[in-house]
Amino acid sequence: MKVIETSNLSKHFGLGETRVSAVKNVSFEIEEGEFTAIIGPSGSGKTTLLHLIGGLDSPDEGDITLSGEKIAHMKGNQLSDFRRDHIGFIFQAYNLIPVLSAAENIEYIMMLQGIKKPERRRKVEEILETVGLTGLGDRRPAMLSGGQQQRVAVARAMVSKPDIILADEPTANLDSKTGMKLLEVMKELNREFKLTFVFSTHDEKIMNMATRLIHLRDGSIERDEQK
Amino acid sequence: MLIKIAFRNILRQRRRSLLTGLSISGGYFLFALTLSLIEGSYNNMIRIFTESHVGHVQIHLDDYLTRPKIYKSISDKDEIETILSADNRIIGFAPRIYSPALSFSEEDTAMVQLIGVDAKKETTVSRLREKIVTGSFFSSQGGENDRTQAMVGKGLAIKLGLDINDEFIVIGQGADGSIANDVFVVSAIIGKKSSGERMNVYLPLQALQEFLSMELSVHEYSMLLEDVADSRSVAKDLQKKLPELVVSPWQEVEEMFYKSMEADKQGNWVFLVLLMIIVFIGVLNTVLMSVLERTREFGVLRAIGYRSGTLVNLIFMETVLLSMMSLILGVIIALPSIMWFSDTGFMMPEPMDMGGIEFQHFKGELTAQILFLPMGIILLFAALISLFPAIRAARLDPADALGKF
Repeated sequence: MKVIETSNLSKHFGLGETRVSAVKNVSFEIEEGEFTAIIGPSGSGKTTLLHLIGGLDSPDEGDITLSGEKIAHMKGNQLSDFRRDHIGFIFQAYNLIPVLSAAENIEYIMMLQGIKKPERRRKVEEILETVGLTGLGDRRPAMLSGGQQQRVAVARAMVSKPDIILADEPTANLDSKTGMKLLEVMKELNREFKLTFVFSTHDEKIMNMATRLIHLRDGSIERDEQK
Repeated sequence: MLIKIAFRNILRQRRRSLLTGLSISGGYFLFALTLSLIEGSYNNMIRIFTESHVGHVQIHLDDYLTRPKIYKSISDKDEIETILSADNRIIGFAPRIYSPALSFSEEDTAMVQLIGVDAKKETTVSRLREKIVTGSFFSSQGGENDRTQAMVGKGLAIKLGLDINDEFIVIGQGADGSIANDVFVVSAIIGKKSSGERMNVYLPLQALQEFLSMELSVHEYSMLLEDVADSRSVAKDLQKKLPELVVSPWQEVEEMFYKSMEADKQGNWVFLVLLMIIVFIGVLNTVLMSVLERTREFGVLRAIGYRSGTLVNLIFMETVLLSMMSLILGVIIALPSIMWFSDTGFMMPEPMDMGGIEFQHFKGELTAQILFLPMGIILLFAALISLFPAIRAARLDPADALGKF
C-alpha cells in the first residue's frame, strides 16, 4: 500500500534573480513499511522535501498524497489534525517539551488525540519499554542523555500509530555508538510494527540500514536506489 | 495538561516570572491603596461638606435653589415633617430661612446673610454647634435685655468689632415689603475668618420668621441620611411624595463642588492609568520574551498537531495564571495596609479647613470595589496583552519556527 505519493513537487524561495528552487519536479512513491533515506549534499533540498511531505510547508506546484489524502492544499486546523493523526516527527535536536517529563512528552500527543487517560498511561508504559527507557518516564528531558532524549522522541513519534515517521538527521547529535543503538531501535520498530520511516541524512549508518536511498541534487531526484 | 504546562512554563524562568509577578503585585498594591486613599479622602470631604451645612437632601419651593427670593417659601411644614419623620433612611431634618441684610455696629457696616435655624433640629443635620469658637448656641428664651440672641461668623465679628454679648443692628426687607430692623445680641462666634460662614448671622427660626414677616413658612428643609449614597434615591422618592416642591440631592444643591470633585477624581485616574501602563509594559515584555525564545518549541507543538487556538490558550493561560498568583500576593500585601489606612489613617502635618471644619485626619476606605476593581482591571488587561504574543505565536509557520528540524 502506498503511504506517500508526490507528483511534480516544486518549492521555490525568493523572488526574481534571487529565486532558488529548493525542490524541482520531485515525484516518488513510498510503500508502507519502507525504511527510506533521502540523501544528498547540503542544500540539495532534503529538509525542504521533508517539510513538504510532513505538511509543515506547502508546495508551489505539484501534489502530495499521504495515506490517500491530498495535503498540499490543506490549511489551519485541518492540517494540524492531519499531522497529529498521520505523521510522526523526529528532530535532529530532539525538541522535547522541556517542562514535561519523558512520559508526559509521549502522552501529550495522545491527549491531543482525545485518548482516555488510563489508555494513555498504559501505552506510555509499553512504549517506554519498547524503546528501552523503562523506569525513566518521570525524568525531565534535561535529566536524560542525548540518546535517551532521542529515544523519547522516537517514542513520541510512534505512540500515536502514525502512517509515516519523518526523521531529520536523527543521529546527527549523537555519538556513533548511541546513534547505532537508536537506529537499531527504529529498525526493530520498522520490522515489528511495519512503521514507515523516511530519513533525511548524511549518516552512513542510516544509509547502510535503509532499504531505499533517494539521492537528491539541486532539488531534483538524481537517483532512486532500492536495496 | 494545558494548565500543568502553563504552570511549569511560568516556573521555567523563575527569576523573570518572579520579577514580573512582583511588578504585578506591586502595581496592584499601589492601585488598590491609591484607590482606597482617593475614595477615603473624597468620602471624607463629602461627609464634612454635607454635614457642615448642606445636608444630603434639600427641599425648596420652585427654583429657590437657583433664584432665591424671600417669598419663595414653604408653608405646609406639617405635611413635610410627617413625611420626613416616616422615612427611616432620614436620621435628621431641619427647616431654614435665608435673607440678605445690612448689619452695623458702632464700628462698621457689613452685608450679611441671615439664616434662621431651629436650634434643636439643626444640630441633627449640621455641625453648626461644633463650629462655635466662642460663646454658646443661642437659646429661644432670648439674651440680655430680652434681645434676640444671634451667632455671627468670625469675619463679621472682626469687621463689626463684635464680641460675646455685644449688640448689633440688622436692617432688611420683610416678605411683605416692609422694612425689617432689630437689635441682636451675640451669643456665639462661628468658624474662622476665612470660612464659608464668616459673614453669616444665625438667628432662631421663629425670631427670623417674625423679623421677615414670614409667619410660619420656611425656605428650605435640609436632611441628613443614614447613608449618603442614598441621597439620589431618597430625593427621588421624596419628590414623588411632594410633587409641588423641588427635592434635590446634595450633588444638585452643590453642583459646582460635586462636578469639580468628580473632575479631580478623574485626574487621579490618570495616575492610575500611567501606573498600569508601566506594569503592563513589563508583562508584555515578559510574555513576548517568553514567546520569542520558545519559537522552536512552538514549531514542535504545531508539528505534532497543536492547533493554533490551543497555542493561544496556552500563552493566554500562562499570563493569566501568573497574574492571578501575583494578585493573590498583591492582596496579601495590600490588605493590611488598606485596613490600617481605613481604620487608623494618619494625621496630616497641617490641618485642612473645609467648610469651616478643620480636619487633619487622613483615612482610606476599604470596600469590595477597592479590592476587586484593580484585580479585575489588571487581570483583564494582562489577558488582553497576552493575546498579541499568543496570536503571533499561533501564526508562526511551523517550518520557519523549526528552522532545520
